[in-house]
Amino acid sequence: MNREGTLKRVLLVIASLVALGVGVAQAKTTVEFWHAMSGSRLAVLEKIVSDFNATHPDYEVRAVFTGTYEETLTRFIAAYRAGTAPNFVQVYEVGTQTMIDSGAIIPVYQIPGMLGETWDWAQYVRPILLYYSVDGNLWSFPFNSSTSMLYYNKDHFRQAGLDPNKPPTTWDEVFAIGRALIAAGVVTNVLSFGWPDWQFEQQLAIHNYLYADSDNGRAGLATTVTWPDPFSVKVFTTWTELAREGIFLYGGPEYNANSAFTSGKISMLFQSTSSLDGILKTAKFEVGTSFLPRFPDEPRGNSVVGGGSLWVRKGQRPEELRAVWEFFKYLSQPEVDIFWHKGTGYFPATSGAMKQLMDEGWFAQSPNHLTAFLQILSGRQDTAASIGVRLGPFVEIRDYVRAALEKAVAGTLSPEAALAEAAANANRALREYRELIQ
Amino acid sequence: MRFRVRRRVLYQVGIHATLLLILMAVAFPVYFAVVMGTLSHQDAYAFPPKLVPGGELWRNVSEVWQRVNLGRLMLNSTVVAIAVTVGKIVLSILAAFAFTHFRFRGRILLFPLSMITQMLPLPVRIVPAYGLMASFGWLNTYYALIVPYLASTTGLLLFRQFFLTVPDELPDAARVDGAGPLRYLVSVLLPLSKTNIAALFVIEFVYMWNEYLWPLIVTTVPDMRVAQIGLKMLITTERTAAEWNIIMAGAVLIMLPPLVVLIAMRRQFAHGIAMQSTK
Amino acid sequence: MEAKFPGYRLLPYLLIFPSVAVIVVFLVVPFAQAVQQSFYRTSPFGATTRFVGWDNYVQIFSTPEYLRSLLTTVGFAGLVIAGGLSASLGIAILVTRRIRGLGFYQVAFVWTYALSPAVAGIIWALLFDPAVGLGTYVIQLISGYRINMMVQGTAALLIAATAAAWNMLGYNICFFIAGLQNVPKEFEEAARVDGAGAWRTFWRVTFPMISPTTAFLLFVNMVYAFFQVFGLIDVMTQGGPGGATEILVYKLYRDAFIRLRGNFASAQSVVLFLMVAAAALFQLRVATRKAVYSR
Repeated sequence: MNREGTLKRVLLVIASLVALGVGVAQAKTTVEFWHAMSGSRLAVLEKIVSDFNATHPDYEVRAVFTGTYEETLTRFIAAYRAGTAPNFVQVYEVGTQTMIDSGAIIPVYQIPGMLGETWDWAQYVRPILLYYSVDGNLWSFPFNSSTSMLYYNKDHFRQAGLDPNKPPTTWDEVFAIGRALIAAGVVTNVLSFGWPDWQFEQQLAIHNYLYADSDNGRAGLATTVTWPDPFSVKVFTTWTELAREGIFLYGGPEYNANSAFTSGKISMLFQSTSSLDGILKTAKFEVGTSFLPRFPDEPRGNSVVGGGSLWVRKGQRPEELRAVWEFFKYLSQPEVDIFWHKGTGYFPATSGAMKQLMDEGWFAQSPNHLTAFLQILSGRQDTAASIGVRLGPFVEIRDYVRAALEKAVAGTLSPEAALAEAAANANRALREYRELIQ
Repeated sequence: MRFRVRRRVLYQVGIHATLLLILMAVAFPVYFAVVMGTLSHQDAYAFPPKLVPGGELWRNVSEVWQRVNLGRLMLNSTVVAIAVTVGKIVLSILAAFAFTHFRFRGRILLFPLSMITQMLPLPVRIVPAYGLMASFGWLNTYYALIVPYLASTTGLLLFRQFFLTVPDELPDAARVDGAGPLRYLVSVLLPLSKTNIAALFVIEFVYMWNEYLWPLIVTTVPDMRVAQIGLKMLITTERTAAEWNIIMAGAVLIMLPPLVVLIAMRRQFAHGIAMQSTK
Repeated sequence: MEAKFPGYRLLPYLLIFPSVAVIVVFLVVPFAQAVQQSFYRTSPFGATTRFVGWDNYVQIFSTPEYLRSLLTTVGFAGLVIAGGLSASLGIAILVTRRIRGLGFYQVAFVWTYALSPAVAGIIWALLFDPAVGLGTYVIQLISGYRINMMVQGTAALLIAATAAAWNMLGYNICFFIAGLQNVPKEFEEAARVDGAGAWRTFWRVTFPMISPTTAFLLFVNMVYAFFQVFGLIDVMTQGGPGGATEILVYKLYRDAFIRLRGNFASAQSVVLFLMVAAAALFQLRVATRKAVYSR
């Protein structure tokens, strides 16, 4: 009995040694991916990653949710400085210039060459390509791109005797419809914003106004912001006025305002297209979507791209880079791209996916998924103002804009004074950034 | 004579009545929170608000449990709070023992050490401390949540003060018996310190369970969050309305452990306060 | 003091080593780094660092935001300390009026101490929720005025301060009770025999006798109102509306971890340190003076 036990043990040891040897020989290359996808987006992303891992036995992508966009960027920076950064990371569009200047990343357009491949970059949807390109070269991998649009509660419109298919197209109509909804007793507040700082950028862009000099920071590092100028003051004044009438309700940063909309406390919401599927699933009323309202007497621009893209850390082993690149190529396959779009509301990034979606009649079936597309493809794409803003300390500047809006809406400061205060901070931040980078 | 007795009784009743009124006012917010935690979504949004409990407590609790994985967060908080509390007690007993039972040059460190910990609260060193955690690779680990907290002035001073009151005969007797200092510490001083250990346990457990800022920045992964941050996660879910009934069910759960510890060990806590206020 | 265990040279150092190590590594070194970093400016990824002298400090004292935040903090702390301490002293006096049930009241009041600032904050945010809060409702009933802490800065600050003072009530009451019990009754009786009224007796005899307790609580409450309330502010107002509740520690957090201005935040840390150090030294002075009175 004793001998038998010993024999078993020896066999066990041998077996495990063999297993270990096989394991080493077929070792997977594991790469880490930090992202900020929460809520309804998280499950969709996790499915994509696990499908990739299942179909690519040589590689394993380990996706780690690291908090909000802000937290993810802060953590990536800290980890990079400590030498523990992941292989690639999702950074929101605000961090674009910071990443470009970081010296910490490999621009994605260089990766195929490094691996002895070529890649067709023209397949990506143009506004996205333009947004993340420097001198015509793409620096980060297009992943979750969105823009802002208007969501509205069609049931509320009906209750107030309004035409549910006529959402406001101008700010005057926002006033009129808002007053009607309040007068009818449907709601006490009508409109709220997600990402309020970003909505300010959107207003400037759809009216073709620059946000900062040096062509919105695209021709070189920006030195000053353009506001407060008459147009930006007009935007702030309009919003303050709406707040004074109770039509506009300041809803906090990011996605905080969504809940007020989906629970029917308000009737209209400006929010990223990426909230579309979350909102459609939670709202117990008919949801309509439309273009952002405009000032009809102002010039036309375009709504700008938001969301995030994927940045590849410098200093990786070739097989790691290969794994990252295989994952990126996987993301660009039409089926994967379509799955991502349908599950979240983010733009499909490639024209291949776009074509396939049209062929299968998806947009006719779900017109809300088309709204943002029509909006961004119907605008101009030939001016810096309509392509988007790129600033080094953009995270910081947005925070000042948000504070300015809070102050203006609360009546602590006049719209002009609030913008001026934010501008002083923004310009100081831009100056400090230039001094460090140049 | 009888008149004076009646006045005395009236006086007593008056004070008790006043105190009970104040007590009710102080406790009311928590009562309101508990009631909210038992309401259905619809009742939670009634205006004027409801003041009688509903029957939805379990549903709300299970919703919280699912939504932010509160079970895991409470487990994290428990692990961290207990580890920090025990660690602080051990470290401060060792240090207090050194400062009271030995003559050594390091004794001049006592005053600076206790002042330093008082003068360097987290916010005055937060940026480099965060960088330190990153360079140790400690972000999103228990280490970051535990180790930086292990030094405690409160504990050091508390035990030092107590050890000073121990009569000299005890260590002398131990020495005569041939026991070394560590033996003496473990078999004589520790049993004598039970009340003080318990007092410090309450104070530190409550303190650590309720920490917020540091856990907020050194953890970002949902699984490593602590219960307090769960509260923030409950408020800022994008999917649904700020549902007060759900949030309050969560708040009640989160406040329970320190409350239970404090009430169960109220005597020891009062003793700790008495020690601190006469230090 | 005599060594109770003479002859051990290394052991005491080994015993204090863990505490000293933790304090040095996690407290002293980071603070020293904060001081150093406050004179530099570093690009986000740390690629370039520039020495900027006192520039970060100049910015602190020349920008309106910081001063506004400082005023907000002082106002907030003033409300918390004045309101909270006087309320809890009043309650403690009632409890120590030689009545029965002192033990009961001690427990009955102490529990607010077990609530975290974040929990206290969320409860009061519920009470004053603009749409469904009971406090909102009661105030509207009484005054016809509907307060909205999401929009009105003063309301937000007052409500946050009330929540904070409420949160500290249990702790303060406990310490005041302990302090009041330590006052020898003979002193008060002597004063009363001399013909002083209750009010005079309190201010002339009792209050000076508990001044070490008061000084200690002053310090603890200040640290609470300056730092510990972070969680309360974060769940209640996030510094808003329009910066009305952006106390110093909240501003520091935003500058450091959201606006990515670590160096500027470090300078703020140093300024905060000077404030805390001053308060700690003040408390120490009062606490050492107590020797005259007690024991």
